[in-house]
Amino acid sequence: MSKEIKGYRQQPGKLPFAKPGSGGREPFSKLRDLEMIPESEGGKRPQPKGKNRHDHLLTGSSVGKRTPLVDSNWKVTGQAKYGDDIRIPNELIGRILRSPHHYARIRSIDTSEAEAIPGVLAIETGQQHTDLFGVLPVTKDEHAMAVDKVRHVGDLVACVAAENEATALEALRKIKVDYEILKPIHNMKKSLDNVEEPIHDRGKYHIGQSNVQKRVFQEFGNFEGMKKPHASSKEKWKFAGVNHGFTEPHAVVANWEPSGRLTLYTPQQVPHYVHRSLADVLKIPMHQINVHRTFVGGGFGGKSDPFPHEMCAAILARKTGRPVRITFDRDEVFYTNRGRHPSQIEMNVHVDDNARICGIETDALIDGGAFASFGHVTTYYNGVLHTAPYEIGSFHYTGARVWTNKPASGAMRGHGAVNSRCAVELGIDDICTQLEVDPISFRLANLLPPHSSTITGFRITSIGMRECLERVREACDWEQKFRKLPLGHGIGIGCGFFISGSGLPIHWDPNKFPHATVHLKIDMDGGVTIHTGAADIGQGSDTVVAQSVSEVLGVPIEMIRVKSRDSDTSPVDLGSYSSRVTFMNANAAISAAIEIREELLKATAEICNVSKDSLVIGDRRIYQKKDPAVGVSYLEALHKAQEDRGALVSSGAYRTPPMGGVHKGAAAGLAPAYSFSAYAAEVKVDPETGITKVIKVWAAHDCGRALNPLSVEGQIIGSCHMGLGQVLTEEMKYGRNGSLLNPNLLDYKIPTVHEMPEVVPIIVESNDPEGPFGAKEAGEGPLLPILPAVCNAVYDAIGIRTNELPITPDKLYKQIEKKMKVLDIKSPLDLPNPTLEHSELQKTLDERTIQHRNRDQERKLNTEREPYYNGTLFGKVSTIPPEEQDENWTLSVTPSEEYLTKPRLAGSAWKHQEVRYMKKGDDA
Amino acid sequence: MSGMSNTPHVPMIPTGEKASWNAIINSRIFDNINIDSNAILLDVLRDSTGMLGVKRGCDLGTCGCCAVLIDGVPKLSCLTLAAETKGKEITTVEGLADGAHLHPIQKTFAECGGSQCGFCTPGFLVVISALLNENNNPDDKEIKDAIEGNLCRCTGYQQIIESVHAAANILNSKEEVEDNTTAKIDPHPGIDRVQE
Repeated sequence: MSKEIKGYRQQPGKLPFAKPGSGGREPFSKLRDLEMIPESEGGKRPQPKGKNRHDHLLTGSSVGKRTPLVDSNWKVTGQAKYGDDIRIPNELIGRILRSPHHYARIRSIDTSEAEAIPGVLAIETGQQHTDLFGVLPVTKDEHAMAVDKVRHVGDLVACVAAENEATALEALRKIKVDYEILKPIHNMKKSLDNVEEPIHDRGKYHIGQSNVQKRVFQEFGNFEGMKKPHASSKEKWKFAGVNHGFTEPHAVVANWEPSGRLTLYTPQQVPHYVHRSLADVLKIPMHQINVHRTFVGGGFGGKSDPFPHEMCAAILARKTGRPVRITFDRDEVFYTNRGRHPSQIEMNVHVDDNARICGIETDALIDGGAFASFGHVTTYYNGVLHTAPYEIGSFHYTGARVWTNKPASGAMRGHGAVNSRCAVELGIDDICTQLEVDPISFRLANLLPPHSSTITGFRITSIGMRECLERVREACDWEQKFRKLPLGHGIGIGCGFFISGSGLPIHWDPNKFPHATVHLKIDMDGGVTIHTGAADIGQGSDTVVAQSVSEVLGVPIEMIRVKSRDSDTSPVDLGSYSSRVTFMNANAAISAAIEIREELLKATAEICNVSKDSLVIGDRRIYQKKDPAVGVSYLEALHKAQEDRGALVSSGAYRTPPMGGVHKGAAAGLAPAYSFSAYAAEVKVDPETGITKVIKVWAAHDCGRALNPLSVEGQIIGSCHMGLGQVLTEEMKYGRNGSLLNPNLLDYKIPTVHEMPEVVPIIVESNDPEGPFGAKEAGEGPLLPILPAVCNAVYDAIGIRTNELPITPDKLYKQIEKKMKVLDIKSPLDLPNPTLEHSELQKTLDERTIQHRNRDQERKLNTEREPYYNGTLFGKVSTIPPEEQDENWTLSVTPSEEYLTKPRLAGSAWKHQEVRYMKKGDDA
Repeated sequence: MSGMSNTPHVPMIPTGEKASWNAIINSRIFDNINIDSNAILLDVLRDSTGMLGVKRGCDLGTCGCCAVLIDGVPKLSCLTLAAETKGKEITTVEGLADGAHLHPIQKTFAECGGSQCGFCTPGFLVVISALLNENNNPDDKEIKDAIEGNLCRCTGYQQIIESVHAAANILNSKEEVEDNTTAKIDPHPGIDRVQE
């Protein structure tokens, strides 16, 4: 019988193993896809950015291919179980009594009447659970429920477990709370002052008697150059707070199992911190708790704190001995918040006569709401994350995060970087207008090169900023549009820079735990089980980890299963925040897979009697590179490797290399790699109404290497959607008495499909030397540039610079009216349309761009490159840190006395002495 | 919000009498379901019939996560009294697939990135399946009009629209979506099975 042979054959003379799972759709292994194998490994994929340390591991299996999320079939069939979908027999319904007051002392709580209702099984208040918790170990300031004071409307007062929801709600109504109302603070400026009753008694140290939670002062660089700038842009910004707006409200199920252990089912981004907090609050060891991460219906940072309601569920379940499920209404989500901080930012950008950015001065006052949350980090990020990708002569930052009686702000996509990035990019645009140069040319001539150091000492490895800008400029037809479109129609550019994984884990440990650990297990069936604690919140982390293992072992992704839900079975992972998962978890997965790969190669070498180094891995087959007929199937190699020991297991871990400076706060913003992005947005603004409509966005993002281009594009487009919300419509509105006016999705305006413009995602691959297969983050960075791109486009359309977000029609029209008055114009249609005639400086910029492009290309490919420190553009020797060669080069993290005589807004937080806070009547 | 008011509480909807309810959900007959006569369909579907694929996102008719088909017409189950649907035919996301054969829109949602976190997905899927039932070749505007009541926070809608086009292509080509339970990749390739 004639037979067609489609792929590789078994090596003659070798007996095939029995075939578990035979009868598959694809009986033959595919040929190695040479298009996916880099040139340096004998394939056909070009490597214009040089080689990567993982190149030799590529098998062409799945990295770089558009891969549907591995769990997507659960989602599309409705089988995915989110928080509220966990239904355990015999469950009770938990509900939470929340404070109706902004700020009040709890005199007493009377639960007797509520407890008497039939069907009410437990009522708990804060008195019995006084242990503090919080996401950062240094700022634990939350309780399961209010102990003495409620600090914002919606703060937790008591919780109830009952047979059904109606009974639980009835019980809440019958709980009598006697409040002594205190004077609330809603205005963040007032929180800078000393008050009689600070919102938190922070124990040992206090910044005066004020509500300043964290203050930062940083000065880097030579401030001489800044004193007489050629051009300056000064702006005072107001940013409204925004909420994540994930579609799944928080929900949690707690169940104390017969073994006496607690399993907490929760849609969490960071299960490990919940794990720690539960142990603190419940006073049981961590090993007695299993945190089960359910499917997460969107996180964006809003599900990354350990939450009081999670503690409540565990407390209620412990008391009743039955499972307890708590699900939020949408308004409770808004009162829990942790969204982006409302902030007031003063941004001054200075440029010298050579069109170099000789100074950035930023002062950011951010409104933290009632709790610290990630506040320490946010306060730093508002400053340090806009010191790149440009080379800067000097940087001055004062930041303060204050407590107010509002729902707490926290981490949200683009954590801390978004608002100040918007401000600095508008400053640059403004300066370019003053200098009469093209803003893209300006940026291209002021970029840091690859493998350099920023002004604050961050280590830049790969940087694709130049390519992002150039590709966006080409794609959007910039030359034909910028400053050339008619009135009411404009285009603008904005850039972004974001960390790819935080260099210091939050729970820093002297034992030097790794950031991420991944375990692999392969048994006789050949399928690979990955155990990882990385929390898939919809971004596709399970998929990326599966792809990495699939790539190294040469098995199709269908043969990989990811077990990432239970803390019992997954190695500790720090969770999905700071855009760390792809970088750190995929790196850990690769190192785990390398161990298995070695075993397989060793077994193959033994079977075929060839040297291990001559082997390569293809689709489910391991063979000699020069003679593909010699080799064995994956399963045969596996079974050989399993002889006498059974299932293969391995463990891989990732830790960031040592890096960064030594000054206080040097670790904030440190990352093993950074992502870069440049967006152009085209908008139409109706001058007669102030309505802004974004019509198209060109979005270039440097993600190092797109492991899964489908997901990267999804993240880019999704980021645009979220950023557009913040820039145009979304706002947490607080009324005059400080009440939240729009805690629902009707009044909180998330863009619908009609508001969403077409987005052209442009993936730029800079091939990071340390990233997994060259990859960096793509989850948060893509949000940053959309805000300034839209704002700058609005200026291009009608010549008005906004300094307040969101740009709602009423605000914009007020500015239009004001401008009409100043210019004495009758109709908004007569507003002057911005134009551009290039000045002499444009030539300087273009020349410098060409020089720098060559410099960058050389640094990319030359592996023996010299160091490059920020400051070189200003005449310093590139290989020596500027502070070592210039005595005027400041590096300071405390304000001088001279500064304190005239501090700026957030800077005035430094007027307070750090003191031991004394309680009233405490003489000690 | 529950329990936030200091004033004596007057329930918006007084507790109703118990009532018997029946419907055909995803071709399955549910008879004699004991519900509160004022129960909301969303609660009945989730709590009494186990249709947990129907999601609760906002309780206000703003997010579209709870959309179901009632006699083939998309409705928000959080704004529908269960009593109104007595005896009717209800389709939820669980009823879109034909056994292990996914509905084309389910398949393309997975393949084109229409679903990221997946929480809004059930609502989108039932709305789009109704659209495709009526119009197997919708243009961008028709798709946008159909899904304007659904919020998605992850995807920015673009890949959802692409998924709809891809599903329309499948429907028009009359291509069968393969059975999801057939063997996946064979881990032992390269052996000539014909020989044996």
